[in-house]
Amino acid sequence: MFALSLSRLLLQALPKQPVTPRATAQCIRSLTTSQQEPLKKGDLPIKMENPYKTPLKTCVLCNITVDFRNVQLLSQFISPHTGRIYGRHITGLCGRKQKEVSKAIKQARSIGFMSVTLKDPQFIKDPDICGIKHFE
Amino acid sequence: MPRYELCVILKAMQRPETAAVLRRTVETLLARGAVVRSLESLGERRLPYKISKHDSRHTHGGYFSVDFHASPRIVSELLDHLERDIDVLRPTVLKKDPERLQALCCGAQAERAHTATSR
Repeated sequence: MFALSLSRLLLQALPKQPVTPRATAQCIRSLTTSQQEPLKKGDLPIKMENPYKTPLKTCVLCNITVDFRNVQLLSQFISPHTGRIYGRHITGLCGRKQKEVSKAIKQARSIGFMSVTLKDPQFIKDPDICGIKHFE
Repeated sequence: MPRYELCVILKAMQRPETAAVLRRTVETLLARGAVVRSLESLGERRLPYKISKHDSRHTHGGYFSVDFHASPRIVSELLDHLERDIDVLRPTVLKKDPERLQALCCGAQAERAHTATSR
């Protein structure tokens, strides 16, 4: 029995059908060096700018200088109830502009241009940039 | 000489008194060897918060801005002098940076990066 099973294993190990190589060197050469059609001059793609270009990502204050004197602009980025500066996730400004606005607001408060705990009443009706909903 | 800006808030006074205060402020500057570029009035307005200065609480003030060139040594003396002046509520001296090359804003920077990578 032992001898029989060994032979059976050997039979199973050996391939049943002869293995034919799928791709030989000669085959590959014939596949790649196929006859190519001669290129026509008018058939080449026309060089043009990408027509599906997406517009560049900009923040609201792109190319606008931020100054501590411009209290109206700075007041758009503070809460009307508490006067606190809104975070980046609310204002939607890029890193650089958010820092500039934050610094300018603090400077304006220190010098005496802007209030600390509230938003100047004359600027409350200004257009909403931050899009934050307040409890009415 | 570096360029400074003096943002000063004066007590709400009549015109001749305000003129006198501004005159003596500028004269102090000139006496210390500063070159005054310009003097602007930013209007008389209500203060954003009540300022207590020189034994009184103020609600209104006149905002003025003096642009000048001076040696850095006189800045601390000038601030000390203005703090003692009873008609001045809040003096602030700021440094005016020279117009540095406008750092490209997010949009322009993204465009530059895009063109660089495409090459």
